[in-house]
Amino acid sequence: MTPLINVKDLKQTIGKQKILNGLSFMLSAGECLGLFGGRGAGKTTLLHILAGIDRFKSGSVEILGCDIRKSEAFKKRLGLITQERSLFRDLRAYENLEFIAVLKGAGTENITALVKRFELNNILGEPVNTLDAGVYQRLSMACALLNKPRILLADDLINDIDPRSQHIILRELNSFISGGGSCIWSFSRIEFCRATGKVGWLENGTLSLYSPQEAQELWDSRLRLIEQQSGENDA
Amino acid sequence: MLSQCLAIARREFFFIWRDKDLRYILLFGPLLGLLIFYGTYSHQVLKDIPTAIADLDRSRASQELVKNIRGAENLKITAYPESYDELEDLIKKGTVVAGVVIPENYGKDLSLSRQTRVEMIVDGSNMIYATNATSAMLSVSHTLSAQTGVKTLVARGIAPAQAAAAYQSAEFREEAWFNPTLNYAYFVVLALALNIWQQCCTLTACMTIVGETGAASWYQFKSLGISRLRLFISKSAAQIITFMAVALPVFFLAFAVFKLPLRCGFLLFFLFSLAFATALHSVGTLASSIAWDPVNAARFGMIIALPSFLVSGYTYPLESMPGCLQIIAKILPQTWYFQGINLLAFKDPGWAFMSQYFLAFLIIAAVCYTVSAVIVARRT
Repeated sequence: MTPLINVKDLKQTIGKQKILNGLSFMLSAGECLGLFGGRGAGKTTLLHILAGIDRFKSGSVEILGCDIRKSEAFKKRLGLITQERSLFRDLRAYENLEFIAVLKGAGTENITALVKRFELNNILGEPVNTLDAGVYQRLSMACALLNKPRILLADDLINDIDPRSQHIILRELNSFISGGGSCIWSFSRIEFCRATGKVGWLENGTLSLYSPQEAQELWDSRLRLIEQQSGENDA
Repeated sequence: MLSQCLAIARREFFFIWRDKDLRYILLFGPLLGLLIFYGTYSHQVLKDIPTAIADLDRSRASQELVKNIRGAENLKITAYPESYDELEDLIKKGTVVAGVVIPENYGKDLSLSRQTRVEMIVDGSNMIYATNATSAMLSVSHTLSAQTGVKTLVARGIAPAQAAAAYQSAEFREEAWFNPTLNYAYFVVLALALNIWQQCCTLTACMTIVGETGAASWYQFKSLGISRLRLFISKSAAQIITFMAVALPVFFLAFAVFKLPLRCGFLLFFLFSLAFATALHSVGTLASSIAWDPVNAARFGMIIALPSFLVSGYTYPLESMPGCLQIIAKILPQTWYFQGINLLAFKDPGWAFMSQYFLAFLIIAAVCYTVSAVIVARRT
């Protein structure tokens, strides 16, 4: 099966600092890759490259068969949720849905269904800047799904949001994956790895792939090691 | 594609409208400016210039001269100081702007047909007052010196009619064209109000690029693959339409209510303003593309917009400025606009003559937009 995302030897530097140092991975339809790593590990950098927001230094990135350096056609089938609040702050919630739908050339017919699924009915008239983190994230995901994308890229999808919103977002994410969509979403709390199909652990500019269970075990073993070392030091 | 453009333009209108500060500045800034300036220059011509007469002679002839000066147009005699020093003090304190000193032997010298010197002093610290006072004083002095000359000739035995004819053989008639009453309101009110308008527009245009690229929502545009050109054209069209929409009430008040002169047809004036708004927008866009953040962009806007009126040559001739300043002035669209509106308001030079002004706007816009595009392409 042709991968939807095919990344080979991807390198990225910011100033003199190497952020990504030769990443390679593939993602097929129906797969969900959880991108795990600490702050500054390069999760956002990688997602922004995949979304076509930032250029990269070297390597190759193919999305939906497009070399993203040569074509932007893949963007029509892409949904993005950014770490920063990137909805249009001068527009209200419904206006954002409407505006992004037009920009995506998606038509507005999906809006009603998405509003219902993400339980956004009560906040449609609100300015987006006043929304709680969880509601904002639900709205962001609804906006990202307006064009019925094949690939969803989400940066810090459910960090620090209310449980109800977490539940809705994960439910819709599962529905998206089971519908044949692919997703890469980043997180920095290991417990979220259970919601992914596989975990890409980003560290020192390289990506290591694990099953969610392996990732959890690796994290636990590292914690034990740190505790052990600190115990030795205390003694 | 059209629906995208319309959506982007609609959002831009929302953006301008929902930013309270921007909305009030754009809507009320130029209008308030027009009202204030019209109020300021409501007298239209400077009359009743406070003047003092120091009659050091106190003769019959000097009394007659005082009477004549009192009847002079635009001068209002408010003080009669006893001495030259007292007059000097009054001018220093600003109590009077002009002063007349009639010398001690004025009557005697006049009767002996000897030359006498009446001193007319003007406070030069306020240029507007000084110019008007000088003009009023000159008018008085011309009349009085002619009257005195006729009297001297009559005293020497020449018939009064012949004496008068001798002084009227060469008539120098002053005539101001296009603004016959030298009405200040006609000259400055519209220009000052449009200066406020152009400043507001420049500040808004300075947000065109950085207002978008500096916000997180820029990620949305980039991830959606929206063409920068489409985004830019749609945003710019919305901004320029807004600029013209806020100018229309100013034009209505100025021409329909305050009856300020507009010799040319309104269509030419409107299109001229539209061409200027586009060129101005391009300058703001260039500043916006150079700036790193909105605050930085606003500073650039202020640096461009604030002095542009002064160097435009509207209030002080461009030709009298240093060469380098003239070059800078000609790069700015404001110079072409303010020179142009003066022509359109007073002279109606026609489409053909104004085409060079339109061409200047076109060149400025083409250069600024192109440079902005290059900068934006490199940065984003």
